[in-house]
Amino acid sequence: MDAKLTPIRKGLLEFLVLKIVGTRSVYVPDILRRLAGTEFATQEGTLYPLLSKLRREELVKYEWQESESGPPRKYYQLTESGRTQLAALDDYWQQINRTVSDIGR
Amino acid sequence: MKRIATTVVLNRSSIQVDDAANARLEAYLADAARTLEGNPDHEEILGDLEQAVADQCTRRLPPGESIVTLAVLEPGLAEIGPLQVPGATPDVPPATSAARSPIGRPLQQISEGAVIAGVCQGVARYMGLDVTLVRVLALILLFLTGGAAILVYAGLMLLLPYAPAEPGAPAIRKLPLKCRELVLFLRLKLTALTS
Repeated sequence: MDAKLTPIRKGLLEFLVLKIVGTRSVYVPDILRRLAGTEFATQEGTLYPLLSKLRREELVKYEWQESESGPPRKYYQLTESGRTQLAALDDYWQQINRTVSDIGR
Repeated sequence: MKRIATTVVLNRSSIQVDDAANARLEAYLADAARTLEGNPDHEEILGDLEQAVADQCTRRLPPGESIVTLAVLEPGLAEIGPLQVPGATPDVPPATSAARSPIGRPLQQISEGAVIAGVCQGVARYMGLDVTLVRVLALILLFLTGGAAILVYAGLMLLLPYAPAEPGAPAIRKLPLKCRELVLFLRLKLTALTS
């Protein structure tokens, strides 16, 4: 992957994780699966620190849920301010997209 | 022949590991703890990471086997991937927790160039004194107290945060490295006990 593209992907990962968490209550393997095969495929070593940061910023929260096999799992959801943040990011993304496609025509 | 296994408690699970896998796991977790030093969420992230390792190992154990070997552990660690801490946490700069001297230097231990663990180097920087002077004073104190000063040293070694390596710093020598591994290991056990 071109080194110039890496920062773009890194910067967008947080946005995409918020989007995924915004669809329903998910646990980490759900997020990994959703991103696998896309440009944003990632690993637990990246996601856990990111989710902890988002939780500290009170954009996501989690609750423990029992699983049939193994220990209980953390299920993540957006908080109110997480939803607001996601909506703002979404708007901004649309705007950037328009700018990018308008410039240089 | 029966293989000897150690039981390792990882967050909310426990697994059986052989010696090689045990050593690899300890090194991996100590490395993760080092990466997370100063991160306000380090305990939570380490817990999640431990759980991920336990889940990987449980999933990858061949049917009928109960002891995790390197052949099981390595691909699991590879799937979890390197620990990547998101860029900046601007509201909590890493040094805020460290005590600061009047001139603004945090009280830390400095492993690079250390003789034992780097406590004297850290104290010297904190107080703006020459390292050799601090070491000589420490030795005198050691003799005067009949060896009891070693407890103070051990306490500081266990408690003081590590100074981040300066660019171009010499490699950590063997003894300081061992001290560091021991301290990180003990801290890890402590967090496991208290959580």
